Amino acid sequence: MLEAKKLVKYYTMKEKSGWFARKKQQIKAVNGLDLTIKRGEIVGLLGVNGAGKTTTIKMLSTLLAPTSGTLSIDGIDALQQPEAIKRRINMIAGGERMLYWRLSARENLMYFGRLYGLRGSALKNQCDELIKKVGLAESADRPVERYSKGMKQRLQIARGLINDPDYLFLDEPTLGLDAPVARQLRGMVKDLAKKKNKGILLTSHYLEEVEELCDHVYIIEKGHLLLHDTPTRIIQTIVKDRILLVVMDRLTQEDWTWLRQELDNRGIHTQKNETDEGTQLDMTAPFDLTAQFIALTHQRNFHLLRLESKKPNLEDAIIRLAEERELL
Amino acid sequence: MWTAFSATFKRQLVTMRRAYPWSFFIGHILDGVYITIFAFLSYHFIFQGELNERFVSYTGTSDYLSYVIMGGVFNSFTVSLLMIVSRMLITEMREGTLEALLLTPSSRLGYFLGAAVQGLMRSGIEWVTIICIGLFFGLNLVSAHLALLIPILAAFCFAIFAQALVLGSFMLAFRDTYITQNTLFVVMMLVSGVSFPPEFLPQWMQCLSRIMPLYYGLDLMRAVMTKAQLSFAILQNLLLLVALGILYFFIGIIFIKQMEKSVFEKHFG
Amino acid sequence: MNLLNVIWAEMKKSHRHNFNNRLMYFSLFVWPVIQFVDSYYAFKPFNLGQDSPLSRFVPVEKLGLFLITGCLAYIFFWSLVQSAWMMGYEREQGTLEIILLTPAPRTLVMFSRAAANLLEAVWLFSIFAVLTILFMGGLHVAHWWLIPIAVVILMLSAIVWGGFLNTIFLFSRDAGFLYTIFEAPMAFFSGVRMPVMAFPLWAKMIAYAFPLTFVLNILRSIVLDGKNLSAIFQPLLELFLILLCLIIASFILVRYAEKHAKETGNLTLF
Repeated sequence: MLEAKKLVKYYTMKEKSGWFARKKQQIKAVNGLDLTIKRGEIVGLLGVNGAGKTTTIKMLSTLLAPTSGTLSIDGIDALQQPEAIKRRINMIAGGERMLYWRLSARENLMYFGRLYGLRGSALKNQCDELIKKVGLAESADRPVERYSKGMKQRLQIARGLINDPDYLFLDEPTLGLDAPVARQLRGMVKDLAKKKNKGILLTSHYLEEVEELCDHVYIIEKGHLLLHDTPTRIIQTIVKDRILLVVMDRLTQEDWTWLRQELDNRGIHTQKNETDEGTQLDMTAPFDLTAQFIALTHQRNFHLLRLESKKPNLEDAIIRLAEERELL
Repeated sequence: MWTAFSATFKRQLVTMRRAYPWSFFIGHILDGVYITIFAFLSYHFIFQGELNERFVSYTGTSDYLSYVIMGGVFNSFTVSLLMIVSRMLITEMREGTLEALLLTPSSRLGYFLGAAVQGLMRSGIEWVTIICIGLFFGLNLVSAHLALLIPILAAFCFAIFAQALVLGSFMLAFRDTYITQNTLFVVMMLVSGVSFPPEFLPQWMQCLSRIMPLYYGLDLMRAVMTKAQLSFAILQNLLLLVALGILYFFIGIIFIKQMEKSVFEKHFG
Repeated sequence: MNLLNVIWAEMKKSHRHNFNNRLMYFSLFVWPVIQFVDSYYAFKPFNLGQDSPLSRFVPVEKLGLFLITGCLAYIFFWSLVQSAWMMGYEREQGTLEIILLTPAPRTLVMFSRAAANLLEAVWLFSIFAVLTILFMGGLHVAHWWLIPIAVVILMLSAIVWGGFLNTIFLFSRDAGFLYTIFEAPMAFFSGVRMPVMAFPLWAKMIAYAFPLTFVLNILRSIVLDGKNLSAIFQPLLELFLILLCLIIASFILVRYAEKHAKETGNLTLF
């Protein structure tokens, strides 16, 4: 288990305020964050830009030393024994950096593998296996500069797996990828956690991705933890409204007055639009109102053309959360 | 052309004030200073002022230190100006602004001139600094013939500017600055009479001297800044310098046009 | 074993990464040859007759040998500056961060980089230099087995210097500036083109700050002056001490650089 307790990271920024003068300014990137990742689990880390996600990932991967707080991985203190930790972790960032472009995929992997102390046939087998796994077998000996974005990203994944880490940190791994490639990557990440029993931390701008993959989600803002829960419960706690969208045969004025009264009485907020199809109603309420509405339509034999119950997703939750925080 | 000139000039000025390229600045000055110190140490400490007679007959002076220090001063100046102008387009390409620039209907000549004139400010500061340091190591300036100095300087800067256009097009073609520029610089330093008169070199190498504006420029500058007497050769060299400048200018314009096209083809093809 | 593994990894990488462009040999061969010619002609304006004051330091007929040995030793040191420049690329590309993510010993990586680049960088100019030396003649060697020793000394010193430069370039953004400070004065003061013995005191002080000065001294003692091992014992010891200092400095600097990077998230120190 990876356990971070009360992680704090302050940066001192020097800003040029003249030819020689520098202004010092302290920036609190991460401010007392608790975080745990268990093996076999995918944990999401969400937050708006500048929330401290990348700083957190870099601290977890021992590239950055926390200003205070503790970090241990499977009982090993990461601050005391960074070398031992480095063997058990790896990090993958989105984008096209962190590879040698003039080297081929195989050469990149061989190089980094050697820096992990792999050698001989063990190294060769590991590279071959990873290349096959990420589907680069055909282009393994071409220079990386001739790869597409998706291929580079897959090579990144292979690189991140070169030391067969127990814990893997993924910083925006699907940034700028085409939908099919992104889906493929998501499948890979899921397998790594569920089949290979790796602990995975994931940050992403694509919230459907987080909702689909993550067992837990940490939402941070300005280095503080706002929420920690499963995606479903986060949605339930934040977005209480349910939306029901209905299209029915055009209502008479009398029916509409009646229906409106009934809905109002039940605390359902309604908006009516006349369309070519018929009358469209958008209804919002802090509970699932489908059953009640259907009961009402039975009373007067309204003819429903379409009924759509919109389930809120993580994106709605995050947007709502951001709006609420702004109001504060 | 004027708007492109002033826009580029202003942009470069702002860039220079925000982030002065200190490493280039100090590097160019030190390059000149090292040549100066090399000459100084060789002259005084190794050879105790004993010169080869051929040096005197080739150069018409026995003032070795002034000869070499002038070489160092103008070599640094030339390198600096060549770099500033020739690296413009490839820098735009590397920073991803080249398309945006090529999309505008602006005058390319104005663009380069703006960069060059702004660059002259930088090169000029370096130039003055090296001259001042050179004075401590034995550079003897005689009363410069101002009336001649100004047209010579103008012709020299024009020729270097034109050479920079050609160099810049080669950089675009090779997608490289480091190898391209420095290969020119080492050859230029060898054949242009920076630290020894090119007459010492084999005949075939002296042909290369004739295509270097620095060769003529140095000859002219030494004549008006360190020698008392003037000769008819000055006028001849001045004409040759201007002619070489014009030749480079047209080659440069044509090459740059060609390169811009091929850059477009490679980017959008 | 780990040492060899890391060196091998660096060698494979730099072969593909730094030398895949044949233009590289312009900087490693064409420029040095032109500079050698330039340094030779730069002496032409002086009195090079039999009565030349130069003969107090170098026999006039051996000036060519003096210069080519200088250029040869210099190219060993210079080639590693270029490889150190790639540090800047690695920082921009983010691969440096990935190297720091691995448990590989950092100082070892720095020195391996230097060792890995050396042979591939110098072979071409070395052949040129050897041919030039054979063509010029005038070698004076006490024992022929001293020559491989001289080569080993040259290589080891260059690797230590290269590792030190890698360390320095590890945490500076402006490689050009460091080059101006560390490298260009070396070419002028360490006796590549001029006998250090002729220098005034202030220039000698600069000269002896560079290991290349000691290496050149030893190299020329062996191949030009025909000195035997006991005669070069003292300069060898001095060189050894300087190299030791550089290695220790590299160790400290690498640790400091990583510590600094961990605190600020930024490798750039100055």
